[in-house]
Amino acid sequence: MTKLQNKVAELFENGTINLMIGFKNALTNQPVPCFIENASQAELLIYTPECKNNLAVYLHKPEVKQSKKIGIFGNMATLRSIVQLTSENQFWDIEKTILTIDANDEVIVFANMEELETYVQENFPDISEEDLKLLAYLDSLTREERWNYWTEQFTACIKCYACRAVCPMCYCSQCTVECNQPQWVKVSSKTSGNMEWHTIRAMHLAGRCVNCGECGRTCPAGIPIHLLTARMNQDLFKEFGTRPGFSTKGEYALNTFKVDDKEGFIK
Amino acid sequence: MTKKVLSNNLSGNGINTFPMELKILTSANIPTFFNNLLQSGKVVVAPVLKKNGKVYFESVESYDQVSTDYIQTVFSAKSVVFPKVEELFSYTKKEDGSVEITNDMSNVPETVIWGLRPCDSSAFNYLTEFFLKENPDSYYKTRKERTTLISVSCAKADDACFCTSVGLNPGSTEGCDILLTAMGDFFYTEVMTEKGKALIDAKLFTDTEEKSKEEFLAKINIKFSIDEVKERIQNAYESSEWKHESMGCLSCGACAFSCPTCTCFDIQDEGTTENGKRLRCWDACGFGQFTQHASGHNPKTNQTARRRQRLLHKFKYSVENLGIVSCVGCGRCIRICPAHLNIFENILNVTKA
Amino acid sequence: MITENQYIPYTMRIAKKTIEAPNIQTYRLEFTNPEDSKNFTFKAGQFAEYGVLGEGESTFCIASPDTRRGYIECTFRTTGRVTKALANCEEEDIITLRGPYGNTFPIEDWYGKNVVFITGGIALPPLRCVIDTLLDQREKFGEISVYYGAKSVEDLTYKAELEEWANRGDVKLFITVDPGGETPDWKGYVGFVPTIIEQNLPKSDNAVAVIAGPPILIKLGMPILSKCGFPNDQIFTTLENRMKCGVGKCGHCTVGKTYVCKDGPVFTYEEILAMPLEY
Repeated sequence: MTKLQNKVAELFENGTINLMIGFKNALTNQPVPCFIENASQAELLIYTPECKNNLAVYLHKPEVKQSKKIGIFGNMATLRSIVQLTSENQFWDIEKTILTIDANDEVIVFANMEELETYVQENFPDISEEDLKLLAYLDSLTREERWNYWTEQFTACIKCYACRAVCPMCYCSQCTVECNQPQWVKVSSKTSGNMEWHTIRAMHLAGRCVNCGECGRTCPAGIPIHLLTARMNQDLFKEFGTRPGFSTKGEYALNTFKVDDKEGFIK
Repeated sequence: MTKKVLSNNLSGNGINTFPMELKILTSANIPTFFNNLLQSGKVVVAPVLKKNGKVYFESVESYDQVSTDYIQTVFSAKSVVFPKVEELFSYTKKEDGSVEITNDMSNVPETVIWGLRPCDSSAFNYLTEFFLKENPDSYYKTRKERTTLISVSCAKADDACFCTSVGLNPGSTEGCDILLTAMGDFFYTEVMTEKGKALIDAKLFTDTEEKSKEEFLAKINIKFSIDEVKERIQNAYESSEWKHESMGCLSCGACAFSCPTCTCFDIQDEGTTENGKRLRCWDACGFGQFTQHASGHNPKTNQTARRRQRLLHKFKYSVENLGIVSCVGCGRCIRICPAHLNIFENILNVTKA
Repeated sequence: MITENQYIPYTMRIAKKTIEAPNIQTYRLEFTNPEDSKNFTFKAGQFAEYGVLGEGESTFCIASPDTRRGYIECTFRTTGRVTKALANCEEEDIITLRGPYGNTFPIEDWYGKNVVFITGGIALPPLRCVIDTLLDQREKFGEISVYYGAKSVEDLTYKAELEEWANRGDVKLFITVDPGGETPDWKGYVGFVPTIIEQNLPKSDNAVAVIAGPPILIKLGMPILSKCGFPNDQIFTTLENRMKCGVGKCGHCTVGKTYVCKDGPVFTYEEILAMPLEY
C-alpha cells in the first residue's frame, strides 16, 4: 500500500472519517473520482498528475454530506477551492479532513484551515502558460473580433450545464437559469441564449473562481469557457488585489466597499 | 449477389425485406461518391475534426473536411432527426383577436449522415420505434424520411466501447441504409434498403460476392451478458449499490445530450403573447428539476434516484415498453462524463448476484 | 384545427370565468372553430394541456362531462408561471388546448354497481367530470356516494354544484371541512376526510371506489377502502405528475416504465402498488 492508502486507512480506523473522496483507476484506465467508505477500500486510491478533477464540488452534494466526517484528497485546484469556499462559509455542516501529496511525495493531512491556507499560499500556482497565451490573443483582438470569436464558440454550446456541474463555486440550490418567473435565461440552446448563460455565469464567478479550468476542460463542445472567468479574475486582481482561493478570509470584490477603492475605470 | 435480410430497419413497421445488395467501392472513388452526394443537392453531415482534437458531426462542403481516423464522435447524430431546438409552431395574434398558428416542415432538406458507426445506426432503429410506434411524432417522421444513413464499420475501438455486450458488433448493419467496411484499398458495401440503393452510382460501384468482415473489424471484449443483465435488472430497483454507483454524478445533461437514444425534451414558449414560437428542446432526466412539480414536490428526491432512472430506462423500461435495450454501447456517456461515470460498470454492480 | 401533429393546439375562447375559492378558478371554454367543437370528444378521466401562448402549457383534467356538448371546463389552482398567466386571463381571451389525452375511467364496467367517490380540495375537479357523467345517466348506476372535504368552507370547490347534488336526492353526500375551517352556519361535517369516512364506512359489495387527492388522502384513504373490503382492482385513482407533451414522449411524467400521461392518469390501486414510489 502506498503512503496515501495507508494514511487513509488509518483515518478510517481511528474514526476520523466516514467517507473519503479521492481518485482511483477505472475500467477505462483514467483516474476517476471515487468514494471510499471503509479502510479496506483505501487500496483503490491513487494520485498521478492525471488526477485533474476538482473534487471540492462533491462537498456540496447531499449524499456526500450525509457522511458528516468527510476526507477529501486535494490536488491544487481542490485545495484552492476549499480555501475559497471556506471564505464563503460553505462548510458549516460537515467535518472535513483534507489531504494532499506535496512535491516530495509526502502525504500531508492538514491539521486545520490555517495550515491549509499556508500551504496553498506557499504553492499558489500561476495561470497556465497555455491559457496566458490564449488570453493575450483574445486581448489583442478588437472588441468586435472578440465578440465574434465568442459568438462562434457559443453556437456549439448545447446547454448541458456540465460547466456548472463541475464548478465547486456553483452551489446555489436554485440556479438563476432554473427560475421561470421570470425566465431570466432562455432554456433552448441558441447562440444568444448561450451567450447570456455564460455571461451570467462569468459575472457570478468573478472574484470567486480559482482558475482550476475544469469548466473548460469538461465542456463537451470544446469551448474554452474557463478563459472568461480567468480574464475577469485578472481584472479584479488589477483593480482590487483580490485572488480567489488565496485566503480563508478573502473578501468578495463585488460586494465589498472600501473608501480607497480605485475608480480609474469610471471615465 | 443479393441476400434477403431480416432486420428492424423501417419506420416502426418491423421487418425489412429489401434484398441486400453487395458492392465494392474503391478507396480512390470515395471522394467522388461523397462529393456527388453534395452535388445532388443533399445536405451531408459527416464527422469533422475540430481544434480541440475531438470529432463532431457537422454539415460539410467537401470530402476534404471529413475525418476518418477516430474512434467515435463526441455527440451523436440524432440532432439531424431530433434537433436540439425544434420549432413546434409559430403563432401570431391577429387584429380580430384570433390566433394564427403555423408550422412548415417543407424546407427540411434531404440529408445524408455519413460515417455513422454501427452502434449509431442501430440507435436510429430505437428512435424510430420510440417516436413513431405510438402517438407518431410528425416532426421526427418528416426528418427521418428525408435522411439516409451511411455507416462505416469500426476498425478500432477503445475501453469505453461495449457494443458487443448489447447484442451489436462493429460491423453490424442494423438501422443503416448503406454499410461501408474498409478492406485495404476498397470498401465492401452492403446496401440494406431502397433508400441506400438510390444513392448507388453504377459507375462507381461494382457487384461482388459476400465477403467476411471479421478480420477488418475491431475486437471488443464482452463486458456482460445482456440476457443475464436483462434478467437481474428486474430486481435491481432496490439494490443498495445505487447510492455508491451514483455518488460521482453531478447532475449535468452531458450523457443524455450525447446519447444517440436519449429522447427526453422540454417544451418552451419564446416570445410574447402577441407573437412567438413554441419550441421543444433537449432535456435530461439527470437534471434536478426534471420531475419537479409546480407545488415543489419532487418524486425523485436525489441524484441517486435520477441516475437509477437513466440506467433502468436503458436496460429495463425500454425493454418493457418497446422490446429493445436502448443502450447501444457507443460509450459516449463514459467519455463525456465530467466524473467519468461508467454505465456498464454501474450496471454490473447493481445487478451483482 | 388538429391535424396528425400532436403539438398544434386548438384555440379556445374563455366563455366564463368563475372564482371558486382563493386561487382556484374555473374556466368554461368554447372552441373558436365550431368544427372543432363538433368533432372533439373525450371520456371521463382524460386531461388536456391548457396553454397561454408565450408562457407555456399546464396539465389539468377536463372537468366537465362529454355528455354536455359545446363547451369544456377546467378548474385549476394558481401555483406557478403558467397557472398564474392563465389566472390573469379574462373572459373572451384566447388560450390553447391540446387533447384529449390519457386513458379513461372504465365507466361501462360500473353499470349496476354502487360507486363511492373520495376526494379533497383541488382534487374534486377530475372526479367532478366522472360524477357528472354518471349523474347524466343516473339510472345505470346503483348508489352514488361522495366524500369530499377541504381546509375550510371557503376552500370548497364547485360550491354551487355541491348544492345541486345535495338537492337531487339521489346522491349521498358527505361534505366536510377541517376542524377550525367551519363557519357559524356550516351544516356539513367537520373533520378530516379519512375521519369522516371511518365514521360512515362505505359498503364494498357490488361497489367500486374512486379516490383522488393529495398524497396524504391517498395514503390514509386507500387502507380504509381495503379494510372495507374493496379489492385493489376495484379502487381507482388518478395520478398527477409533471407533464409537458402529454403523449408519452418527453419523459417527465414516467413512473418506472409507465407514462402517467399515456398509460394513465387513471390507475387501479393494484397498478399503483406495482409501481416504484416516484409520483
